[in-house]
Amino acid sequence: MAINLASKKILVVEDQAIMRETIKHILGSFGARFIVEAESGINAITAMRIDRFDIVLCDYNLLRGKNGQQVLEEARHLKLLPVNAIFIMVTCEQSQEMVLSAIDNKPDDYLIKPFNRQQLLSRIERCHIRKRYLAGIENEIDRGNLYQAIHNCEQLLQQDDKKMRMQLLKLHAELTIKVGDFKTAEAIYQDILQERELPWARLGLGIVAFFLGYYDQAIKTFQELIEQYPVMLEAYDWLVKAHESVGNDEHAVSSLNSAVTLSPLSILRQKKLALLADKTQNFAVAKKAYAATIKLGKNSIHGSSADYSGLANVHLKNNAANEALKILYELNQQSQNDPEAKLRAALLETKIHQTKGNKVLAQQAYEKTFKLNEQFNKHVSKELRLEVAKTFYLNGNGEICDEILNDLIKTNIDNKLFIKDIVTMCTAIIGENHAATLIQHIKKELVDINNKGVSLFQEGNIKEALAVFEKAIAKMPDNQTIILNMIKIIIHDIKTSKSSGPEKIISAQSYINKAIQIGIPHNQISGLQIELDTIQLKTTQ
Amino acid sequence: MPNTRILSIGFPAILASSVHDIKNSLTALRALLSQLETVYQDPKPTEFRQLEFETNRMNNCLMQLLTLYKIDLSQFSLSIDEHSVADILEDVVAQQSTLLSLGTVQLITECHDDLFCYCDNALISNALCTLVNNAQRYCLSKVLLSVVQEDDYIIFCIEDDGKGYPENLISSDYKQLPQIDLANGNTGLGLFFTETIAQLHIKGNNRGFIITDNNSQFGGARFKLYLP
Repeated sequence: MAINLASKKILVVEDQAIMRETIKHILGSFGARFIVEAESGINAITAMRIDRFDIVLCDYNLLRGKNGQQVLEEARHLKLLPVNAIFIMVTCEQSQEMVLSAIDNKPDDYLIKPFNRQQLLSRIERCHIRKRYLAGIENEIDRGNLYQAIHNCEQLLQQDDKKMRMQLLKLHAELTIKVGDFKTAEAIYQDILQERELPWARLGLGIVAFFLGYYDQAIKTFQELIEQYPVMLEAYDWLVKAHESVGNDEHAVSSLNSAVTLSPLSILRQKKLALLADKTQNFAVAKKAYAATIKLGKNSIHGSSADYSGLANVHLKNNAANEALKILYELNQQSQNDPEAKLRAALLETKIHQTKGNKVLAQQAYEKTFKLNEQFNKHVSKELRLEVAKTFYLNGNGEICDEILNDLIKTNIDNKLFIKDIVTMCTAIIGENHAATLIQHIKKELVDINNKGVSLFQEGNIKEALAVFEKAIAKMPDNQTIILNMIKIIIHDIKTSKSSGPEKIISAQSYINKAIQIGIPHNQISGLQIELDTIQLKTTQ
Repeated sequence: MPNTRILSIGFPAILASSVHDIKNSLTALRALLSQLETVYQDPKPTEFRQLEFETNRMNNCLMQLLTLYKIDLSQFSLSIDEHSVADILEDVVAQQSTLLSLGTVQLITECHDDLFCYCDNALISNALCTLVNNAQRYCLSKVLLSVVQEDDYIIFCIEDDGKGYPENLISSDYKQLPQIDLANGNTGLGLFFTETIAQLHIKGNNRGFIITDNNSQFGGARFKLYLP
C-alpha cells in the first residue's frame, strides 16, 4: 500500500447513513483511525473548521442544503483545506463530471457510485501519489511564487517520468499563462497537438490567442471545440470572454445561455449570465438567471445581496415596482449581519419608493443609506460603492459622490474595466467630461508621487524613497507603477547595502507575487524575478 | 388522449431519470450487501458471488444506458486524454475485485508499463468491466486481459476458457443491435455499447472498432478492442 491511512485525518460527507457506514468500514479495514462523518454540507464545513483533513470524500448529491460542489467551493474559499489535501467527489454517473465542472474549483478526482473497497483505495492511492509528486509545484503556487513553481515544474519534466509527463506539461502551460509568458505556453500546446489532437491543448491555444488579443482566432478555436465537444464547458466560458472582449455582448449572452442550460447548478455562470443579460437589456433571460442565482446562493459562498438587488432592478426597469418590493423584503430577511446587504437594501428601497412616487418613504430610505454609507463605506465592494455614489448624486449630494469617485479611481486606476464602468456611469448621469477630469487629476497626483520617489532614489536617499512608495501602496494597493518601482528599489537596496537580511528578499518576492496577481505583464516582471533569484543564489552559497 | 400527454415529457427523459433512481437504489443495495457479507465467516456462501455478479451487471447496464441516452441526445462528448494502460487495467481489476475474491476464477492482466493510450478512460474501463464481468461468468477458470500496441492501434484483448461466443455474437456489424437472445440471457448490449464508443475514438482516418471470435488461446471466447 502506497499510503498509510492510519496517520490520515479523513472526512466522509454523505447523506445516507448506510453509505457512510460502509465507507467508514472500508477505510477502517485499511487501517484508517481518524474518520469524521458529516451528513450534510454545513456539518462538513463545521468539521473542516475544527480539523485539518488530509482526505475528504464528498458525495455530490447531498439531499438537503449544499451540494458537494458548494462544499468544495466554500472549503477552498475559506481556506479550510490544506494545499496537499485530497478532495474526491463521489458522483452518480460519469458524464456528471463535465456538467459539474465549475468555473475554477475542481476536485482532485471523481469516484463513481457504486464502488467497492478496492476501487476506493485505488482512487485514494492514485490521488495521493499524484499529489505527492506535484507537491513542490502546488506548494509554491499556494504561496504565490509562480516563477518558483514553473522552475520546479521544469525540473520534474527533465526527469522524464512518462506517466506524469502530460500532467506536468499541462500544468507548465497553465502556469506560464498565469505569469503572462504566452509564447512558452503556445509552444507547449503546439508540441502536444503535433503528437495528438487533445481537447485541452486545443483549448489552451485558444486561451493564448485570447490573451495575445487575437480575438477572432480565439473565437474560432472555441467554437470549433464546442462543435466537436458539445459538453466542454470551459470552451463556452472562454468563448463568452472572447465575445465580451470584442464588445459583442449579445453573442456572449447566447453562448453563456447554452453553457447554463448544460450546467444549471453552476452559480457563477448563472450570475454572469444575469449580469450580461441585464446589460444587454435581455430582461427575460436576466430575470430567470438572477432568480436561479438567488436560489443557488442560499447554499453557496458565492451568493450575494447583489443578486437580489440585481433582480429587483430588472423588475424596476420593467415597471414592476411591486415585484421589486417583494425582492427587497426577501433581501431584508437575509441581511441581518451583513453591512453590504444592508446598504444594498437601503439603496434599493430608496429607488423603489422614488419610482412609486412615495416621497416621504423615499426620503427616509435615503437617510438610511446615508447613515449606512458613513458607517461602512470602505468595507463594501467597489461596485456597490459606485452605486452609492450614483444615488448620492441623484439625490443632490454631488460632493460626497465625488469623494467616493475619487477614492474609487485612485484604488482602481489600473483596472480598465472598472474605470470604464465609472466613466459610463458619470457620462450617463453627471456629464461627459466629469470622470475624465477626475481621472486626469488622480493620474497627475500619481505621477507626482512617483517622481518624488524616483528622484529621492536617484539622489541616493533609498530610505526615504522606500517610505514614499510604502505610503503610496498603503493608499493605492493595486497600482502597477508604484509596485514595480517599489520592487526595483528594494532590489537595488539589497544589491548596494553590504549586509542585508532575508527580510528584504522576502519583501521583494511578496511584491513580485502581488505584481503577478494584479496582472502586470510577464516582460516587466521576469527580469526582476531573475535578478532576485541571482541575489538569493549568492546569499545561500 | 392520456397516452400522448405522458409521453410528451419524452420517454428517453423518463428512462434517464428512472435510471438515476435505480442506480441510487443499487448503490444502497450494494452497501447493504457488503455489510451483510461481513457477518459471514470464510468461506462465504456462494450466493454472494452471484449477487456481486448480478449487481455489477445491473450497474454496468445502467451506466451504458445513460451514456447511450446522452449520445443520442448529442449531449455527450468524449473526454480524451493520454492515459496509462496499466492504470486502466488496474481500474478494471479493482472493479472486479469483490467478485474475484468470492470465486475461483483467475483474472490475469498483461501489459507493458510504458504503454499509453489516448481515450476516455472512464468509458473504456466501464466497457471493459462489462465484458470482463461477462467473461468471468462464462469461463471455466480463467480470464486473460492483455493489451498490446500494433501499428496505429492499441489493442485490448479479453480471452477466456469457456465455451465461446454463441453464433449471433461473433463479429458482424455491431452498429446493428444484435438479436435479442433472451434464452441465453445475453442481449449483446455490452458489445453494442463498446462498438459505439470505440467508433467515437478517432485519429486521422482511423476509428476504433471491435472484433469477436472464438480463437482464444485457452479455447474460449476472444474479444478485441482496437483504439487508434
